[in-house]
Formats: sequence, C-alpha cells, structure tokens
Amino acid sequence: MTAHSPRILTEGETSLIDAVARSTFDGDTSARKAAVDAIEANGLPTRRVEYYHYTDLRALLKGGFEPAAPVSEEVARDAGKPYPRLASDACVLHFRDGYYHDFGEALPAGISVTDGLPEAPSATSNADATSLINAAVAIGGVTVEIADGVEVDRVLGLAHAQTGAANTASGTRFAVNAGAGSKATVIERACGPNGNGYLNSSHVDITVGEGATLTYILSIEEGDAASRMGRLTVDLGKDATINLFVLNAGGKLVRQEIVFDCRGEGGHVEIAGINLVGGEAHIDVTSTINHHVANTTANELFRNVCTGRGRGVFQGQINVAQPAQLTDAKMACNTLLLSDDCDFSAKPELEIFADDVQCGHGATVTDLEPSYLFYLMARGISETRARRLLIKAFVAEAFEPMEDEKLEEALEARMDDWLDANV
Amino acid sequence: MVAVQETIDTVKTLEIDQYKYGFSTDIESDKAPIGLNEDTIRFISAKKDEPQWMLDWRLEAFERWKTMTEPDWARVEYDKIDYQDIYYYAAPKNFAEGPKSLDEVDPELLRTYEKLGIPLREQEVLSGVAATKAALAAEDDREEDLGDNIYKSGRVAVDAVFDSVSVVTTFKAELAKAGVIFCSMSEAIKDHPELVKKYLATVVPVSDNYFATLNCAVFTDGSFVYVPKGVRCPMELSTYFRINEENTGQFERTLIIAEEGSYVSYLEGCTAPQRDENQLHAAVVELIAMDDAEIKYSTVQNWYPGDENGKGGIYNFVTKRADCRGKNSKVSWTQVETGSAVTWKYPSCILRGDGSQGEFYSIAVSNGMQQVDSGTKMLHIGKNTTSRIISKGISAGRSSNTYRGQVNVGRRASDARNFTQCDSLLIGDRCGAHTVPYIETKSASAQLEHEATTSKISDDQLFYCLQRGIPEEEAIALIVNGFVKEVIQELPMEFAVEAQKLIGISLEGSVG
Repeated sequence: MTAHSPRILTEGETSLIDAVARSTFDGDTSARKAAVDAIEANGLPTRRVEYYHYTDLRALLKGGFEPAAPVSEEVARDAGKPYPRLASDACVLHFRDGYYHDFGEALPAGISVTDGLPEAPSATSNADATSLINAAVAIGGVTVEIADGVEVDRVLGLAHAQTGAANTASGTRFAVNAGAGSKATVIERACGPNGNGYLNSSHVDITVGEGATLTYILSIEEGDAASRMGRLTVDLGKDATINLFVLNAGGKLVRQEIVFDCRGEGGHVEIAGINLVGGEAHIDVTSTINHHVANTTANELFRNVCTGRGRGVFQGQINVAQPAQLTDAKMACNTLLLSDDCDFSAKPELEIFADDVQCGHGATVTDLEPSYLFYLMARGISETRARRLLIKAFVAEAFEPMEDEKLEEALEARMDDWLDANV
Repeated sequence: MVAVQETIDTVKTLEIDQYKYGFSTDIESDKAPIGLNEDTIRFISAKKDEPQWMLDWRLEAFERWKTMTEPDWARVEYDKIDYQDIYYYAAPKNFAEGPKSLDEVDPELLRTYEKLGIPLREQEVLSGVAATKAALAAEDDREEDLGDNIYKSGRVAVDAVFDSVSVVTTFKAELAKAGVIFCSMSEAIKDHPELVKKYLATVVPVSDNYFATLNCAVFTDGSFVYVPKGVRCPMELSTYFRINEENTGQFERTLIIAEEGSYVSYLEGCTAPQRDENQLHAAVVELIAMDDAEIKYSTVQNWYPGDENGKGGIYNFVTKRADCRGKNSKVSWTQVETGSAVTWKYPSCILRGDGSQGEFYSIAVSNGMQQVDSGTKMLHIGKNTTSRIISKGISAGRSSNTYRGQVNVGRRASDARNFTQCDSLLIGDRCGAHTVPYIETKSASAQLEHEATTSKISDDQLFYCLQRGIPEEEAIALIVNGFVKEVIQELPMEFAVEAQKLIGISLEGSVG
C-alpha cells in the first residue's frame, strides 16, 4: 500500500500508541518501541491490504484504550470464577489483563514452563498488524516445553481472563515446543466480561517435533465489546501431527490468524473450527497452510453460523511449493446465514506449484433447510429448539477429529450458551 | 510414473512454434506519432472524423487516466509498459474511414483475412470460399491452409478490425432488414450518436480501472450491436481482431445492446504476428440486456503468446462487463483463452434485473511462459438472480494460471443462487495453478456453492485408457477434452470444433 503522508492517525491507532506510551510494561522495550513506530508510520491495514481484505482494521479498531496494570491475587482469582474449566483435571496457567499469575498448580509430568515473554515476532509492514500489536502490548508470557517421547496424561491450560478493569490494552505471548515423539493436549482460552471494550492480543508459536502429536484447542470467549487480535503459528517436523480446534463464541472484533508450515515429510495438519457470529460481532479467521516438502497432508473444516448483525469472514489459503509433491490438502467452509442483517465473506485460496497433488476446497452458504425445520416442528418441537438442534447438527462434524469426549462436551456447553443468547 | 515423466520432458523442450497466425502483412501504414498526449487523442479523433462531444469525452478520460496508477494486484509479472513508446493509431495507408465497398480495400488486406480464414466477400461466404482460395494459393504457394472454421460455415456476419480500423463489416444490409444495427464503433458514433451517448460507459464507467480509462481516451475501433425489441438476430455476429503493425497497441471498444425480448449471439476472435517485443491490447466490452433479452458472448482468444522463453507476445488487459438491466435477462460469457503472454481479464455480470441470469464458462490454457489471471464477477443485486461459473484452467510448461472470481450477493438479492466450479489441471512440475475466489453474501436466503480442485491427470485414468490400447498422447488428449467438456458444450457448434483444435495446438507436445 502506498503511504499517504502526512498520515492522519485514527482514534484507534492513536489510542493504542498512547496506551503503550503511558504503560509501565516491562520486557523488551526496544521491540515494543519498534512496533509502535511501525504502527505510527504505516497505520493499521485497510481493505487495500489483501491479507485484511474483509477486516478493515483501521476502521474497526476503536480507541479508548488504557494500559493494563497488574492486579492482586485475590482479584485475579475472582476474575476466573465465571469461567468453569473445560477440563476438570487440567493444570492451568493463569493470565489476567495480560499479566501472568502463578496459582501454584502442579504441572503435568513431562512439561516444563519458563516464565517470561518469548521473543517478539519480527514484523514491520501493516500486513503484519496482528504481530505488531502483540509486540506492542504483550505483557505476560511463558515458554512450554514438552519433553521428548512423553505422553502427557493431563491437559495443560493457558487461560486468559479479563478482570473488568476499564478498556485495557494488553496481551500474552506463548511458545509451545512439543518434543520428538511426544503427545499432549493444550487448551488456550480467552474470556472476558461483556460490555468492556478491552483489547486482548495473543501470539502463540508452536513447534511440533518429529513424530510428535499435539492437540491444541483455542477457545475464544471474549466479551461482547472486546477486540481480540490473535495469531497462531505452527511449525511441523517430520511425521508430526497438529490437531487444532478453534471455537469462536465471543468478541466484538476478532481477528485470528493461523499459519501452518509443514517442513518435514509425513506432516499432517488437522484443523476444525466453529465460528459463531452473532450480535454486532465481526469475526475473521484467516488460515494459511504452507506445504514446503513432499508427502504432507492437511484437512481443514470450518462451520460458521451467522445471525443478528454479525459479520463473518473466512480466508483460507493452501500453498503448495514446487518440491511439495504428493501433497493432499482439503479445505471446506460451510456457512449458515440465519438473519437478513448478517453477512459472510469467504476467500478459500489455492496456490499450487507442484503437479502431483490433490487439492480441493469447497465453500457453501445457505439458510437452514425449511423442510428439516418443518419435520421437527411437525413432531411438536418448538421452532427455537428445532433451529438450535439443526444448528448443532450442522456444526457437529467439526467436533469429529476430537478424541477427548469430555472436552467435546465442555465445548458444546460453551456453544449452547451462545445459542441460548443468540438463536 | 514413467509415462507422465515423458510428457513432462516433452513439455520442457516444447517451443510454442506451432502458432499458425504469426505471419505479418507487409502493408504501408498510416500511424499516429508515437507516444501518448492530447495531440494523439486529437489525431485519432480527427482521423475518425468524430463529433466534438466524443473528443471532449476522450480528453476528459485522458485527464483522469493521468491521475491513476497501474494495478498490481494480479498474479502476473511483466516489464513495465512504456506508454510513450506505443503507436496508438495504425491504419493501412490510403484507407478511407467510413463505409466502403470491398473493391476499394487493399488486396493485401483481403489476402490477410483469406489467410486467416475470414471471408469478407458476402457472395463468397454464401457460395463457399474455395474458388478464391484456389486462386490465392496459385498466386502464392506459401499459403497455408488454416483449416475450416466457423467463419466459413456461412451465416456469420463479420466485422474485421485491422490494427486501429474496421476494414469491413459484412451482411450489414441483411441485418438491417431485421432491424439489427451491426457496424464498427466509428460508424456508430457518426450514424447513431444518440444510442452511443445513451449507453457508452454505462456498464464500465470511464474511471473504472487504469486500462479501461486508457481505452476511453484512445480507443480506435470495435463493434457496435443494437438488437431492437423482440428481434432474434438472424445470424451469428462476430468480430475478428488482428494486430499487424509493430509497436502498436490495439484499443478496441465493443458495445452490445439487446432490447426487450431480443437475442443475439456474438463471437470474437483474435490473432497477431509473431514478434519479439510485447504489444498491448486493452479493450473494453460492454453488454446491456434489457427485460427478457439474452446475449451470448463467445471468445476464442489466440493472440501471439510469445516464444518459449517468454519473449514477445501480447499483453491482453481487457475489461468486459455485462449489465443485466432488465427482468429475466440473461448473459452468458464463454471464453477459450489460449493465447497472449499475459492475460488480465474478468468478464463480469451485474445481475440487476429480478430473475436475471449470468453464466461464465471458461477454459484457460497456458503453456511456455504464459501468465493468465482471469475469472469473473457475479454481482447479485436483483431478486431471484442466478449465476453459474465453470472455469477450467490447464497449465503446462512454466506458465502460471490463476482463477480469480467474485460472487457477491447484496442484501436485496433474496433467493439468489450461485454455483461455482473451478478446476485446475497441471501438466508438468514447473507450472502453477491458483484459485482465488471471493464469496460474499449479505442475504440469508441466498444459496451459494463453490468447489475447486487442483490435480494432475490421474494414473488411474491414464492406465485405464492405455490398457484399452489408446496411445498415451491420445489418452491425455482424451482426458483433457473430458476435463473441459462442460465449457466446450456451451460454445456454438463450429466454434467448439475450433476451440477443441486450439487446445490441441496449445498443448502440442504435452497432449496430442
């Protein structure tokens, strides 16, 4: 994008820059300053930046941000209470308004955690806005190491909750390294109270070592006035598998970027997600799967439900480099549009440079099938219940790759909450 | 797999030397001074003997163009175009503008069209061109038989455009009997100014995009079609575009208006000589369909694609758009893209009228160093609008083939339907195939389906054919033809035969 000078900063941009300037955030201050300078120089991306084609961040990110400040342990514990755990026996690392709070929960065997912000993502252009914002506002962070060959029997949770302090700007940064041959499940969860216009930025870098399998669940349950900027990158080694599940059930403005790099033969990406877009929400999931070497596979499935005045976005890209022969990649994005005021935009892209591949994508948009609704209602089921049933049936396929039934039930409960409020 | 490896090797060594239309006609030309400025535009306008309003319109477009920047979002790479190093007008010398009889046309010109297989003498069309052809062949034994094509099958009216001028338009009188106006754009500006003023640039606005604006400023010729209410055009209409002169750009402008309840089928063909430098072709095509009208627009694009190293070839930057203004109107775009070094083309439909239909059928074949970025836009505005997109991309050699399409359903467009299928076939491991669809819905009652696949010819399919004694090259041709069948079916019959042959030529060496 050509820079217009002098650039007039929007309220959102000014507020973000100002909040960082007034903050007492520690950590790598030079990276923080560089990120703020880049935002000031190039601004946030508009629709003209292809990566943000459907999310005009410059217009959507509203201001009024205050720098987050640490809270007492008591406040921190209370802030987590409204959000019951998804896995009862999990070890959870707690983050409140960006700050890490150690409640002394015992780590599962085979996992070690180092407190401290992992290195900031390198980014300069406004197409990397999500990374820049994280570099500017991330406060707490940990590096999780899963030891080689260990099959971890308990779930590790990374839980971020907003305390309700007014409109804070904060964020977290995690690094998760799954050692060779290991097997583990990690849940990242972000929750916050409704009516609070806070900004939460999350950046996660995952590496999955040779032959390792990592199940990663990302449950986004931000408050209905919140902005969330998230980015998750996954580096897959030889014969490594990532099993990623994404639930979007909250937030006013959500941008979640997911990038996979298959760097070792035999790598497999399994990604499934449910995006529930209601009220005034704008939810954007942008995924990129890069196949760099031969014999890697990917299976991507997103089910979206839009209602109210919600705007849903799905951008999915599959890139197959020239050496990546025998890639097998599939992507599906199915959407239900339930109201006349909601909308959905999809951009499922294929970029193929190798000839011996099987790649495909499918995208559909439609309303609930009236005859199904009629069938249920003819049997005495109320319209609301019938609609909810059909919606649940529509998204059910996204749960299929999940092995842990209890976890599935817990996530379904989160979905039911959303359905109760929106359908 | 050995069999396909051989094919890949053949593709690698493939030279695009089977371009049959690469000859140039040695004819003295009258050109505008090189470069682009107001004087060039005044020169073109004066040559065409245009009214003042047309000149003013062009100059205004030029002013706007100067403030615009060349788009760079498409997946194509080419050397920067020096707009001051192009001749914007080239016409055969002693060529008088306006209606003329064939006897006044330079015989060399007629020979060019004979060579291309485009008969311009109506009586010949009706009686078959054999006699003339034999005479010509006797005169010049280098004459190559370019085969039969639709133009020789009779019943096709042709507007032949040579560089910047329309040489002749056939069957005008017969068409006039039915009330159909079919003439060159220059004639239309003079003879039917009210229609031109009313419809020109109402589908593609003057400042729509960089190349369209440039076209507004410097367009030279093209076809104008007006089909009155209730008339079913009695024959196929066609335009044959030929670039001949060196360093020239061709900027044609086509406008087709189908009034209520009318039907017209229009074909477009194009070729150019084989040259080392790149030439620019920036056209604008506007279609307008009123209530219950139907327009079928078919293109077989075969501009010179450049040599195997990407030297030379035509830059084909075209803006094509149809406006389904009336209720239940229908526009169908069918394209077979085999030529051009770089293609940047998105024939679109604005489905404004309730119940209107848009269709897009495309086969894009790229080989050598060709780059194609093509697709369509279906903008659903009216209620009960439907659209269908079938796109088949075949890449071979070191080419890049991108489908870029948009389906947009507006809030008012209740019960809109879309079906999109874009398939890519890769032949060889040095080429690329990309799919970039944009699917946007604001209407809950809309139903959209999109599917895309990319693959190579499967071993199973090939094995099946080979096992039944079909030679490998033939088997690949068979599979490729099966792959594109859905689109070929949409072409007028004779055109389909030509298109099928063209695909064979473009992939020669990789398919039989």
